[in-house]
Amino acid sequence: MPTLFGAISAAASGLDAQRTRIEVAVSNLANAESTRGPNGEPYRRRDVVLQSVSAERFEAELGRAGAVGVQVSEVVQDTEPFRRRFEPSHPDADAEGYVATPNVDVPEEMVQVLGAARAYQANITAIGLIRDTVQRALELGK
Amino acid sequence: MNNISDSAILAALGRQMATAVARQSAAASNLANLDTPGYRSREVFAQVLDGELGDAAQLARTSAGHLSSSVASAGGATIQESDSLPTRRDGNNVQLDKELLSMTRAAGDFSAAQTALAAKFRLVRYAINEGR
Repeated sequence: MPTLFGAISAAASGLDAQRTRIEVAVSNLANAESTRGPNGEPYRRRDVVLQSVSAERFEAELGRAGAVGVQVSEVVQDTEPFRRRFEPSHPDADAEGYVATPNVDVPEEMVQVLGAARAYQANITAIGLIRDTVQRALELGK
Repeated sequence: MNNISDSAILAALGRQMATAVARQSAAASNLANLDTPGYRSREVFAQVLDGELGDAAQLARTSAGHLSSSVASAGGATIQESDSLPTRRDGNNVQLDKELLSMTRAAGDFSAAQTALAAKFRLVRYAINEGR
């Protein structure tokens, strides 16, 4: 049986996942020009993998339908090749004068941030509505 | 004279609240999984069990001109994955506006049932206190 607290946990897991998504997109933006990482390579774009997971473990154990939350199962690196830019004066330029720059597309990251922010907002609204319902239920005891 | 028993009314209102909670829970799940690839949106179907309350569900008719009616109650709600909605390229078919609407509507349903239930409890309390 679905419960209101399960619904709140599901919405909260959504907040968590979307926040991680914003964090990752912002890291990508911050490193859009980082040509030197810890391994000597330019920065590789990172992406989150979202996975749905039961928000009500007890219900799931019993095989009953409960609220379904979301979690970030892993943060993966984008395998797309680095971009190359002709800049012979750059200290990281190769013999031909090309610099390998991160495979980050700034507009794409901005879209990710906006999408995640909207989804975050939706989950906040959901929590507000569920809270109102809980409040109404508690009023029965007055 | 009203032939519907108090317990039948309380049970029907309770079911309405349970269905509203199931709706909110499904909508919260869908909103949480707004961007999960391959996630199918969930929908709650309330089963209307006509005549579950039997003859007690018939409203009393004090005049031949009254229409007959029965109290329909939402029975056990089932949760199903929805296939009728358009699916995005990542296999997800959650629609943000639809989910928020369903959530708000469920909050209204719950609120209505709660108001009715509170009124019913007030009457019962009034009777227990002998009208004081």
